[in-house]
Amino acid sequence: MTAVSEPVAASRTRDAERVRRWLRGYGLLSPALAVMIAMLALPVAALVLLSFWTQHGFELDRSPTIENYAQLVRLKDEPTVWFGIPFYFAYPVPAILMIKSLVMSLSATVAVIALAYPMAYFLAFRVTRNKAMWIILITIPFWTSYLLRVFAWKIVLGFNGAINSGLKALGIIDQPLEFLLYNPGAVVITLAHSWVAFAILPIYVSLEKIDRSLLEAASDLGDSKLKRFLRITLPLSAPGTVAAALLVFIPTVGDYVTPTLVGGPGGTMIGNLVQELFLKQNNAPLGAAVAITMMLIIAVIVAIFLWAIGYRRIRSRRM
Amino acid sequence: MQRIKFIDRMAQGKMSRRQMLQSASAFGVGALFLPRPTAAAEVLTCLEWGGYDSADYFQAYVDKYGAQPNFSIFAGEEDALAKVLAGFAADVMHPCNYSVARFVNAGVAAEIDTSRLSHWNDIFPALQSAEGVIWDGKTVMAPADWGNSSLAYRPDLLPPEFNENPTWAIFYDEEYKGRVAMTDNEMAIIIGAMVGGMPYDEAYKLEGAALEAAAKEWGTKAVNVSKFLWTDSSEVQQAMASGEIVAAYAWNDLIANLRAEGVPVEFAKPKEGMFTWFCGLTLLNTGKADEQAAYDFIDAWLSPETGKALIEGSGYGHANMKAFDIADPEALANMGITDPVAMMADTIVFKTPSDAVQEGFNKVWGDTKALKY
Repeated sequence: MTAVSEPVAASRTRDAERVRRWLRGYGLLSPALAVMIAMLALPVAALVLLSFWTQHGFELDRSPTIENYAQLVRLKDEPTVWFGIPFYFAYPVPAILMIKSLVMSLSATVAVIALAYPMAYFLAFRVTRNKAMWIILITIPFWTSYLLRVFAWKIVLGFNGAINSGLKALGIIDQPLEFLLYNPGAVVITLAHSWVAFAILPIYVSLEKIDRSLLEAASDLGDSKLKRFLRITLPLSAPGTVAAALLVFIPTVGDYVTPTLVGGPGGTMIGNLVQELFLKQNNAPLGAAVAITMMLIIAVIVAIFLWAIGYRRIRSRRM
Repeated sequence: MQRIKFIDRMAQGKMSRRQMLQSASAFGVGALFLPRPTAAAEVLTCLEWGGYDSADYFQAYVDKYGAQPNFSIFAGEEDALAKVLAGFAADVMHPCNYSVARFVNAGVAAEIDTSRLSHWNDIFPALQSAEGVIWDGKTVMAPADWGNSSLAYRPDLLPPEFNENPTWAIFYDEEYKGRVAMTDNEMAIIIGAMVGGMPYDEAYKLEGAALEAAAKEWGTKAVNVSKFLWTDSSEVQQAMASGEIVAAYAWNDLIANLRAEGVPVEFAKPKEGMFTWFCGLTLLNTGKADEQAAYDFIDAWLSPETGKALIEGSGYGHANMKAFDIADPEALANMGITDPVAMMADTIVFKTPSDAVQEGFNKVWGDTKALKY
């Protein structure tokens, strides 16, 4: 009797224990989970659903169809040439803007990393006292609204803006430079400035974590400063740098506020198209399809990027 | 005392979990049953053009209700319509003669009972019965402001030949690339077609392949030549004041504001024609506020005092005939806006396109802009 009942009782307590632990875990998670479901999962699900409907004038046709997606990839014989590239799409605008947005975001990301890495390096290796103060100083631009920062760039780059009046006062130019504002370059500059602080912090954290004795060892064994940087510092700070790059790249692809304010007609990005489809063209289903496709493309690009640089290997090397 | 004790005990960790929960649930149940202050009446929500949210234009409403209504500013009627269709609960909208039909067709506009508007009988009779004020036999817009859309330019920065014979063609001329600003809507295509020789009566209802062709020829040029496409009139006014641009599609307010600043600026009568519009207030059926508040707001807009502010401040005309009696005669002479009927006879009055045409324009114009690099 006892020989049989004992394991059953034991397993029952084990089960009960497991359930309790499960409940406790989800109980602790539940506020975050509820927010995620309400604010992220449900809206995305609604967007997916919407993308399978169609808009006819003011009427929304709720019968499911993949017409919106088909529209994005349907081909025609006569290409639309943009920047010398022929696009054989019947509706080439989303594809063109997608490519343009990716190129612009990529440029902004490269600029951000180029700006942020030296700053983070300085912070991690050169600053010894008052580190907290330095970090607070870096976040100062974030104390003003994003819109104000973008607008400030409009003033800096503008026709009678800071750069033009400065150069004029110095006598270097006599006509204001026209190419500063209202083009993709202005958008990239503004994005790079707006996102740089987001990149400094993760890079700083990964640099700060590097075991200083490794650097000493490299020097003792005869590495030059450059070689030491390339062989120790750079690889060990890769996780933070990659995280920073993704943190900047992913949100900037879909940005629409910055191009609206400083981009002019030439600086539009895919986010502007989504906004235009939802609002001005009153075609929310097609806008949803473009937004979903954009998400998928970004996800694929990020996955390829992480695979290409061997992110798993980099992460597992962490100390 | 009790409260402080509670906090002390909690801070010292002397309170058991059960006691904590008891207190917390007592607080929760208590809060649930406490009488709540009754919800205040819904505030009126208005969809307005930028600049029209100034209290000068509806002072009578502010005097009666003691506060301004809520405003949501739009850049174009299509944006506002999309916002309403997406569920934005606005009570009043400010469309124009050529765009009000979109709101009626979408089923969001309500008929206006003109007997509830005290100033209705002082409105120019020609406006009371104009197309756009009346749609499908119903009064759907209370006409308030009217004015022109035309070519504003800096005579000091353009050659004298242009001064003598101003033309819309400047917006499609590579020579002026980066020095002009078109408005950000399908007018860029329509005016282009007119420059190409098509009369407005045909250009405003372009459709299908003809529209595609016009967009490809004229829309693309306008997008490439314009420094920026403006959606916000203060943006274009600043650019014009600084000389960044020398010509722009503009309304009367640009002229009034820049002249007030002492900037030399002319409102051209281009050889292809200048345009006249009249706008007004439309009652929406999506609102939550008291209907009387909406009527009071509309009535305030129709008052002669508002007309005076509009004429003197922005250089627009007003629908109330009495406004012209009390407005500064100098402002009137400056702007040449006294009689809407004469103005309409003399210029091109905007027309209402069908829904299909408007949707075609929206799409083609959006695509044209996106292809610029």
